[in-house]
Amino acid sequence: MKHEMAKKMVLFSVLGTIVAMIFMASSIVYPHPLLLVLAMSIGQGIAIFALVLYLLAVALDLQASGEMYIPAEESPALEAAPPAEAPPPVQGSGPPEA
Amino acid sequence: MLSIHSTEQLLKAIALACAALSVLIGIWYVVRRPHLNRGTKSMLLLGLGAFPLIVSLTGNIASFEYTLSRPFCGSCHVMGPYLRDAEDPKSNSLAAMHSRNHKFGENSCYTCHADYQMFGAITTKQNGMKHLFKYLTEYASTGPDGEGGPPIHLYKPFKSGACMQCHSATAKKWVETHGDSAEAIRSGEMNCIDCHNEIHPLALSRRPTAGKGAVQ
Repeated sequence: MKHEMAKKMVLFSVLGTIVAMIFMASSIVYPHPLLLVLAMSIGQGIAIFALVLYLLAVALDLQASGEMYIPAEESPALEAAPPAEAPPPVQGSGPPEA
Repeated sequence: MLSIHSTEQLLKAIALACAALSVLIGIWYVVRRPHLNRGTKSMLLLGLGAFPLIVSLTGNIASFEYTLSRPFCGSCHVMGPYLRDAEDPKSNSLAAMHSRNHKFGENSCYTCHADYQMFGAITTKQNGMKHLFKYLTEYASTGPDGEGGPPIHLYKPFKSGACMQCHSATAKKWVETHGDSAEAIRSGEMNCIDCHNEIHPLALSRRPTAGKGAVQ
């Protein structure tokens, strides 16, 4: 579920970046005042938003991958195993007598 | 072939190249829809993070440099008469003579009209935003040169500090020429343009409603 959401977020981020790049490149090629102001404000805003969205998507994807990963020490196979027998006490190593 | 002769052009070329690479990476992702593995994520980090960052930095610097130039100032129709006069090789107006100076002539509007103070560049650009808003709301559809709009005026009186960036008020020749007025000019009681007032005569003459010092 989270993985699918991350993929959608990445797609939106990519589309946003493409729009922002076209916007900013057009202001460099045709530097009209209005286009320049819009590109350097709205264009950069879209680009920043897209980057944040992408980083969120990566974080979400990593979180989803982490949920699927089961560490070895918590695996049911180990929990079900009988406890190992305690080694016999060594003579002279016990608690001191009162 | 694209020829690069200045830092501004180099920055523009870098910005355009990075924008193209970013768009290509984006299109590759949209078309191929690869699995989000480490390689894809790294590629997207370049396309969505690194390249756009370079475009922003270089694009901002290149655009800022361009906004200092006379063609940029003259790109709003309302500035047409000012631009034509400044670029007229036969004109003897102050604007035209200063625009013919090879050291700063290409940036003559900004050189004379920018605020001469610590954060002058910032306040000048803030005023530029105000110009753009005024142009769109009051002049844009009022004739080829915005004739139907209200008279253009400066936000504050033109100060001699802008002239004294280049014309030293302590040079021997200047002191000799200006005689008794020298101290008054230095202290700000008198302004350079009180006497040297043929600044934008053609642009001034087309606005009869503009009073003294109203249109510069």
